Amino acid sequence: MSDKDEVNEETQRLNPLMVAARAKAEDAKAKAREAIPPELRETPRAPEVVEAKAKEIRPEPETAEEEKPAEPDAEASEADGSRSKSEREKDATEEKEADGRPAEREEERPLGERVVAWAKRNVDHLIGSGLGALYVGWLLATARTLGFSRDEGFYFSASSQYEKWFQLLFSTPGKALERAAIDPIWTANHEHPSLMKSLFALSHMFLWNKWKLVQDQSTAFRLPGMLMMGLAIWITYLFAARVYSRRAGIAAAIALGLMPRVFYHAHLACFDVPIMAMWIACVYAYWRAEKIGGLGPALLAGVVFGLTLETKHNAWMLPGVFVPHAILVHGRSMMSDAAKTARLPIPASLVAMATIGPAVFLLLWPWLWNDTLPRIQEYVNFHLHHEYYNIEFLGRTYFGPPSPKSYMPVMIAATVPTTTLLLFAIGAFDRLRVVGARAIGWLGETLGRAWPKPSGQDPLHTDALLLLALAVPLAVFLLPRTPIFGGTKHWITAYPALAIFAGRGFDLVADRIEALLKSRTSLDETKRRWALAIAGAITFVAPFAVTRHSHPFGLSAYVPFFGGTAGGADLGLNRQFWGFTTQSLNDWFSKNTKPGDTVYIMDTAWPSWHRMVDEKRIPQWLRGVGSPAEATISLVHHEQHMNEVDYNIWTEYGTTAPEFVLTHDGVPIISVYRRPQDGRRGPR
Amino acid sequence: MPLVSIVELALHAKQTNDIVPEADWAAARNIVKADLRPDDLVVFAPFWADPLGRRTFGDSIATPKRAGRSDERRFARAWEVSIRGAHDEALAGWKKVDERKAGAVTVTLWENPDHTKVIDDLVDLVTPERLSVSRVDDHGEQPCPFQRGRTAGGTTVVPQGLLTPADKFVCNGGHVGVAVLHALDHRPHLCIYATPIQGATLRLRFSDVTFGASLHGHSGIQWLVERKPTPEKVSVSFSAFGHTLGTHFHKVGVGWVGFELPTNDIEGKKGELTVDIAPSSQRQFCFEATTRHASSSATGGGR
Repeated sequence: MSDKDEVNEETQRLNPLMVAARAKAEDAKAKAREAIPPELRETPRAPEVVEAKAKEIRPEPETAEEEKPAEPDAEASEADGSRSKSEREKDATEEKEADGRPAEREEERPLGERVVAWAKRNVDHLIGSGLGALYVGWLLATARTLGFSRDEGFYFSASSQYEKWFQLLFSTPGKALERAAIDPIWTANHEHPSLMKSLFALSHMFLWNKWKLVQDQSTAFRLPGMLMMGLAIWITYLFAARVYSRRAGIAAAIALGLMPRVFYHAHLACFDVPIMAMWIACVYAYWRAEKIGGLGPALLAGVVFGLTLETKHNAWMLPGVFVPHAILVHGRSMMSDAAKTARLPIPASLVAMATIGPAVFLLLWPWLWNDTLPRIQEYVNFHLHHEYYNIEFLGRTYFGPPSPKSYMPVMIAATVPTTTLLLFAIGAFDRLRVVGARAIGWLGETLGRAWPKPSGQDPLHTDALLLLALAVPLAVFLLPRTPIFGGTKHWITAYPALAIFAGRGFDLVADRIEALLKSRTSLDETKRRWALAIAGAITFVAPFAVTRHSHPFGLSAYVPFFGGTAGGADLGLNRQFWGFTTQSLNDWFSKNTKPGDTVYIMDTAWPSWHRMVDEKRIPQWLRGVGSPAEATISLVHHEQHMNEVDYNIWTEYGTTAPEFVLTHDGVPIISVYRRPQDGRRGPR
Repeated sequence: MPLVSIVELALHAKQTNDIVPEADWAAARNIVKADLRPDDLVVFAPFWADPLGRRTFGDSIATPKRAGRSDERRFARAWEVSIRGAHDEALAGWKKVDERKAGAVTVTLWENPDHTKVIDDLVDLVTPERLSVSRVDDHGEQPCPFQRGRTAGGTTVVPQGLLTPADKFVCNGGHVGVAVLHALDHRPHLCIYATPIQGATLRLRFSDVTFGASLHGHSGIQWLVERKPTPEKVSVSFSAFGHTLGTHFHKVGVGWVGFELPTNDIEGKKGELTVDIAPSSQRQFCFEATTRHASSSATGGGR
């Protein structure tokens, strides 16, 4: 039996019949460990070949994570060269400091020292959450200038309904749980699960209605989505830091945040950024469960998977990540066990996800509490047979299958800053090299050839896991029947993994720069560090500038190497959807309209329009109407398939000339027509 | 990598500063206005800049006939107002006469080597004075009165279809008026929105039409219908002086398509032109036709 096999033998798995016995044993071990003072417990180390054998004597997962951040994967990562030199040196210094401290009871230390010690133990969480908080701050600061998208309008309405149910739940829980209370409320927008809309509702209920902590009702609705973006940044950092290095983690988090499309969607009370956050959270939870072992992390992975299912239906693709990965990690030992015992041992986290996941999904979605099976069927059918909306790509409006295979790669190249994509390419190539070397080694072993095997392999195949987390959401868009109307938001779940590889790429580039500085300059270490920091800042200055400038036209923006917004228009790429840009007419409305003016709101959803008026984002004297015939002022949100609205207004107003054209970088976003006062009729 | 970022930043800075100011558009308008003739075309390139051009040039220059043109051959010259070095492919083969700069806007004057001068345009004749409309079925011919009303259609949901014009002839089961079609090519086309009637022929009689060497026309159905081709056809027959000039069949899915009927035998004559649209389920049918002086070698297709 090889070392690898031994590892796999020891890696936590769960045969359903052994759950209880195993859990009992784990509990007993945990209790025994709790009896040992923390400082006397064994310092957790990377789950390397030898250490994996000693898993039973490890602390509980959460404790392990807190005690030695960014360390568990150090050896595996060092073995394949994925940790930077500076990171290794830093870790060694920290380790020395920790080791050098005399054994002392935690509570006997002064408070300041304890805080410092806690901060040191949790430095990765502090960095990750700090970056996330900073980003949420940026989102909050810019939220007021971004109009409400069509879907947000629908979710505002649905969440307001759900809020009534929560009020009932908190006042008379018995009544709230009756079918008569559940069905009328939770029928609203039941094509999507309830988690985010429930959070929007609760946020509105407490932050706006009860505590008045936020400026606008919309901010209360939007905040959970923004916090989800903070979570995505946090976990992306954490993942990259633990797998590669802190420097890679920081670069990954920044790369994720500095994508114009991500920045746009992160503002919204919608589900796209939340599912992106939950996707990477779920992958991370699964990875931790695999790494640490034990029932707790497995159960946690199950719960997180349930929450992910409850966020958006993209979650149903996650088995496409986990199952192949589990086979890769455990396949050989599973086969061996199956041959010996006639039972197929399945990793605990997968069992938890398969059982707890759907349970959480059902539990948190009241609409499924009655007529459960038919309603699940309805939900599934809605998404399996979803209508194809129109979307322009390279000058052609697509409205049904087959979808162009080039859509996804071209749109990624056109919307993700090129610097980030190059970093990703460097990082992904590096990791693919490692994965490839392992595959060759495995093949050689299988064929009985003496092909070179890379040393010090990561038993968790983390690179492969991240590649799967990236590839699965993207691969779907290579299928001819996958609708493409959502643009980049429908594969946004791939972006955290993309960013993590970009972080790894940044690490490699930084190592190279560091080596060059060392060999070709006489700069001392401090100056070299500064030079490196400046190089890092310069690396992300373009993604920052592009992202910042894209606001509030994130869906119209294309990256500079594609010619920017005008380049996107030249190429015939979609300019916007959801009608949210109406709010950007506020200046024009304020100066050029008067009380009593009626506005044909075009693609803006009614709840979005009403909210904009209510929050004084546009003049309150305007009255929205549903057709140009009723309006003195008519809008056209420029999308190719909406040209008919433009031309219909010519028919209605008898003019081809808009009074005002809202532009972004010179490209028309909205045309504004005013009904001529000369009594003309028809387009001649 | 920092160098890539610097290049990306430099491109970004250039692109966000290279925005054509409205003053340049206004200067271009003045160039065009100074020498504009009635049968000149004005085009804005690239097509996405069309709203910007129409905004500044106004509807006295960007008239519905120019902005929603049926074809380019009806125009003797074309003013191409372009930014970013764009060029309208429809003007390929035209002779460049002049080119001037108005800041970031280039104004080019082109001459049409294949001009077919329009004599009468049926779109202009959709008035109660020049057109009578009727429904023809087994019970005979019933007149469709002209009404001045309100448009119908237009919602906050797209697609919303062709807007029914405010001024129109109203029949039992159909109507005739002037509208702007969003055709399969996503371009605007000014045309006669004549809804075929199921179980009856829709007859349009244009009076005092002066005929030329040929009758040029185009037809289309709302883009959403045409993007799913079917074998169905809409039949449009033209007749004058008791003779059928020809029949055009519009097959669903072909988009904005041109046709040409020779009328050499009645060239120079003036009389009634009858258009019969056969029964069809295609409600959002739109066509246009002009009598022209010189027949050309090929039919004028849509852009």
